[in-house]
Amino acid sequence: MIKEFTKGFIKENPVFVMALGLCPTLAVSSSVMNAIGMGLAATFVLVCSNIMISLIKNFVPNKIHIPAYIVVIASFVTIVDMVMEAYVPALHKSLGLFIPLIVVNCIILGRAEAFAGKNNVFKSMLDGLGMGLGFTLALSVIATIREILGAGQFLGMQVLPTSYKPMLVAILAPGAFIVMGLLMGAMKLKKKK
Amino acid sequence: MSYFLKLGFVLLVITVIASGILAYVNSLTEPIILENQRKAKAEARLEVLPEAATFDSIGTFNAENVFAGKDADGNLVGYVFLASLYGYSSDVKSMVGVNKDLIVNKIKVISQTETPGLGANCIKPEFQAQFSDKGLGEMKVNKDGGPIISITGATITTRTITNSIKNGLLELEKLIPAEAETSEEVTK
Repeated sequence: MIKEFTKGFIKENPVFVMALGLCPTLAVSSSVMNAIGMGLAATFVLVCSNIMISLIKNFVPNKIHIPAYIVVIASFVTIVDMVMEAYVPALHKSLGLFIPLIVVNCIILGRAEAFAGKNNVFKSMLDGLGMGLGFTLALSVIATIREILGAGQFLGMQVLPTSYKPMLVAILAPGAFIVMGLLMGAMKLKKKK
Repeated sequence: MSYFLKLGFVLLVITVIASGILAYVNSLTEPIILENQRKAKAEARLEVLPEAATFDSIGTFNAENVFAGKDADGNLVGYVFLASLYGYSSDVKSMVGVNKDLIVNKIKVISQTETPGLGANCIKPEFQAQFSDKGLGEMKVNKDGGPIISITGATITTRTITNSIKNGLLELEKLIPAEAETSEEVTK
C-alpha cells in the first residue's frame, strides 16, 4: 500500500521518469516559490480528481470516461484558480496562465486513466498524493538549480555573493531544457548502475 | 438508442453537479477577489501620490479612471492614472502619479508577467525610481536617446513602460484643460 505513495518520488517520478507535464515544468521552474506553488496546486487537483474519479468510475460508461474525467479535473482546477486568486493573489499573479493550464497537465489525466479509473479510493488518493508531491519535488529541484545559477537567489533570498554575475540563460527557457535534460540523464545513469 | 441517451444523461448529471459546485465557490471568492483588486489599486494610488487625501475621477484612460488627487484642504496636488501597454509577454500595468505640472512623482508597476530575471526586474524600486521627476519630453529609453536606462536584456519592457506613461501624459493633457474650464465656469 505504501508503495502507491512512494513510487511517485523516484521510481515513477512523473517528470524525470515518465516525462509527463513537461510544459508547466519548464515554464514555472524559474523560481522556487513558483515551483512550490504550482506543485502544490497540481497536487491538490490530482488528489481530489483521483478520489472523485475513483468514486464515479463505476457509474461512468466506458465511452464517455474521458469527457467525464476532464469535467471533474477542470472543476477542481477552477476551484483552485478562484481560491488562489482570493487568498494568495501574489502567487496567483506570478503563476498566471499556468493555473488554468493544470487542466491539460497530462500527469492528471494520465493518473486518472492509468490508476484512479482502475483502483479503489484509498489507493487512488495515495497515488495522487505521491505523484503530486513527486511533481512538486521535481519542479523544486529544477527551480533551485535555475534560481541559484540564474539569479544567485533561493526563495528570493540572496545566497551567492552579489559579486556573482547571474547566469541569465539558467532562468530563461533554454536553461530549463538544459537543467531538466541533465537531471533526467543523471537519473537514467543511476538506474543503469 | 437508449444507450446513447444514457451516455448523454450521465454527462449531463456530472456537468450539472460540477457547475453547481463552481457557482457556489465563485459566490464565495468573487467578492474577496474584487475587494483585493480594489484595495491594491487604492494602495497603489496613495503610494504614487502620497500628498493626496482624496481622489476624484476626471475621465478615463485605458478603461480605467483618471483621478485628480486633492489634499485635505481640497487643493489640487496632482493626477493619478493607470498606464498599460503590451510588453514582451504580458500587459505591463503601472500606476503613475504626476504633480500639477505633469511631472512624474512616482510610478509603481502593479501587474506584469514579463520574463523572470529580465523584464520582470521592472518591479524593482531602483528601476521605477528613475521615472520620478521626469516630464513628457524625457519619456525616452536610453537606446532612443532618452534618460531612462533600460533593464539589462529587457529593452522592450523598459520601452513599453516608458511609452505607456508617455501615452498617459498625452491623454492627461487633453483631459485637464477641459476640467479647468468647467471648474472656472462653475466659479463664475
